[in-house]
Amino acid sequence: MSIFHKIYEDLQHICYIWRREMQQVVKDEGILIFFFVVPIAYPLLYSWIYNNETVHEVPVCVVDMSNTGLSREFVHKCDASPDIRVAYYAQDLDEGISLVSRQLVKGIYFIPPDFETNVLRMKQGIISVYCDMSLMLTYKAIFQTSQLVSMEMGKQIQTKLSGLYTSREEAISAKPLDYEDVPIFNPKGGYGSFVLPAVLMLILQQTLVLGIGLSAGTTREENPLGALVPVGDKRYESSFAIVFGKALVYFMIYAVMGAWLVAGVPRLFHFPQLATWQSLLTIMLPYTLACIFFGIVVSCLVKYRENVMLIMVFASVPMLFLTGISWPQNNIPGWLQGVSWLFPSTFGARAYVRMNSMGATLYDVQTEYRILWIQAGAYFLLAVAVYRYQILRARRYAKERLMFLKHNKEARTLNS
Amino acid sequence: MLEALRQIYNIMLRELAILRKNYIYPFCMVVFPLGVMVFFTQLMDDGLPTEMPIGIVDADNTTTTRALIRRLDAFQMSRITHSYATVAEARKAIQNNEIYGFLYFPKGTTEKLLASRQPKISYYYSYTTLAAGALLMRDLKTISTLGSAAVGQATMRAKGFTPDQIQTFLQPIKIDLHQIANPWTSYNSYLSTMIVPGMMMLFIFLITAYSLGTELKFNTSKQWMEMADNNVTIALIGKLLPQTMIWLAVVYSYQYYVFFHLGFPHLGSPWMLVLLGLMQVLASQGFGVFAFGLLPSLRMSMSVCSLWAVLSISMAGSAFPVMGMDRPLQSLSWLFPLRHYYMIYQTCVFNGFPLIESWFHFAALTGFLLLPWMVVKKIKNAMLTYVYIP
Repeated sequence: MSIFHKIYEDLQHICYIWRREMQQVVKDEGILIFFFVVPIAYPLLYSWIYNNETVHEVPVCVVDMSNTGLSREFVHKCDASPDIRVAYYAQDLDEGISLVSRQLVKGIYFIPPDFETNVLRMKQGIISVYCDMSLMLTYKAIFQTSQLVSMEMGKQIQTKLSGLYTSREEAISAKPLDYEDVPIFNPKGGYGSFVLPAVLMLILQQTLVLGIGLSAGTTREENPLGALVPVGDKRYESSFAIVFGKALVYFMIYAVMGAWLVAGVPRLFHFPQLATWQSLLTIMLPYTLACIFFGIVVSCLVKYRENVMLIMVFASVPMLFLTGISWPQNNIPGWLQGVSWLFPSTFGARAYVRMNSMGATLYDVQTEYRILWIQAGAYFLLAVAVYRYQILRARRYAKERLMFLKHNKEARTLNS
Repeated sequence: MLEALRQIYNIMLRELAILRKNYIYPFCMVVFPLGVMVFFTQLMDDGLPTEMPIGIVDADNTTTTRALIRRLDAFQMSRITHSYATVAEARKAIQNNEIYGFLYFPKGTTEKLLASRQPKISYYYSYTTLAAGALLMRDLKTISTLGSAAVGQATMRAKGFTPDQIQTFLQPIKIDLHQIANPWTSYNSYLSTMIVPGMMMLFIFLITAYSLGTELKFNTSKQWMEMADNNVTIALIGKLLPQTMIWLAVVYSYQYYVFFHLGFPHLGSPWMLVLLGLMQVLASQGFGVFAFGLLPSLRMSMSVCSLWAVLSISMAGSAFPVMGMDRPLQSLSWLFPLRHYYMIYQTCVFNGFPLIESWFHFAALTGFLLLPWMVVKKIKNAMLTYVYIP
């Protein structure tokens, strides 16, 4: 047999496996859910949830024991800020606490009776801020607003006290060293812009692995021997052909889904989008391949089609944290960093966030880029190896079964 | 009555045998939930991110700026790892994942400061990692304020003011912050207490639907119903009770580990934890049975359960508050058991208010527990007539 003939035959096998797998994907509603419905609907849902990006008008309660011009000015200024809304005035702290317990307010501004007196006497006026710490974003809003307002009012008091001649002098004495803060790469500090890029990348990986696992589970259940590959079919003899054929199906579907996830959704919801399509393509190619081969490896481990759901769904949340987006990467313990190297999502999300939200070039993410290719290669080899093992096992089973049947037949003929 | 108890007992024994035989049960009921618990508590063991790498662009390079830099380095949350010649270089370093933010002193800062010409320094930080960005912003802001105050302090001391007077002049109004129940601003006690119960609920949903669906799949449903004389309530109770016991053990060991071993804040009484754990398990099982009854096929009910459970992590409104979401979503959040769990937890356990304050959420969890009543007939029908198609 000439080498060209062999290649031609292999290609035919790949195409056959591709067709079979495609048929299975299209026919199975479970796989359709994970390959099409989830990647399309989930990003929309998440974008809707985080669409407001920040919390505004957090309700607080004011206990104004001082009840003077200065204390009222503080309250008015807090109320006028975008993040805080003075929802209630309470007579004393106990009433304020009962408002917190009924979830009507998230914090209390307590202004003691001697507040203005102290300020006028050139002593520090103290305002107590009590925060319900169950929500970090509301705590941040309540505390930061009070701090800003107190600094602003403090500056006015300073300038009145210092008795300088020009307003420029006053400004300098209140703030000899000027400073500004510049949040970059997500200037409005939005929650959605920060968490969604990583979630999108994770959705891609998780739906792929779930879909591939379900498909493998179905194959196994439909096979009379419970094997992943049919025995005796010449077209299923090369594990390379099997992996290529199947991967081709998933790659075709996820070329479309991936484009929707990394380019469509951010555009639709105006999340930061700094990467060019060329660089996105460069990073998505190894990422998708790594996810596909990772999925194929995982799919060989499951016995029943539902088990893959039990294993993969819960892993999504820890995987999200391992990307280092929610919790800074340098604070993830070493052993967990080691675990995170197993998943393509870790590096895919890091590379995507840095390129798309921070405008990094391919050169800046070369470490992640290389690791993704290494993962793709390693998982490909592993996928070929596990399929090789599956083929051999299926053959052994078939042989045992055959021996068993033969033995039975002999026994029967002997008996008769 | 006695007959019913005997039937339940027999079905329980049968269920225990199933739980022992299929390796997926011990993994999904004990190993994974406790693994997730260890994962999250270990991940955020420090409570707050510490020693986050930041950079310096010191174009001025004088003793004054160097003193400020040294002070910044002494802060717990940030560690100065790099210094760069230009802003462009430092920005590149953020994109490169070397640092999370940097402080920039332009040339002539000290000179202008001494000449009272109000120089301006800037700090840049990346908000693509929200927690890191917000915390660094706090540190960088503090150091800038301190730098500003140090100059004013020196001038006033020279003029002969007392330290008290200086303090008052620099900060006429002081904010006295009380962080109730979590004075350490620990992210661990704030995120782990929502995510870990959420993951446990996910497992309860899935395993409940899985254990019912596998009766159909392995074609044992008729035998199971027969043991209960075709009484679906008895059949369900007998099947789910052993699971309830295991879930309760897992949930209570989580609560013991987190609130008593790790000492997470809980102002509420331990009995509230016991009650909350019980409601968490029963409501989740109720939801699992309901999902299966609604779509009596293994794959569909499990898909629904997993999609619902993953979504509930976001809809619980612990990371991004529900009050910040759109109106329709605020109402939709009621459909997620985790949301009610979280509300009861933060009101009655974390803040220690009486149960009456979250009666609505308690009633909602009871509602989830009662949901199966709506679908028992369908389940019975499915168990007796459906045939599993792979």
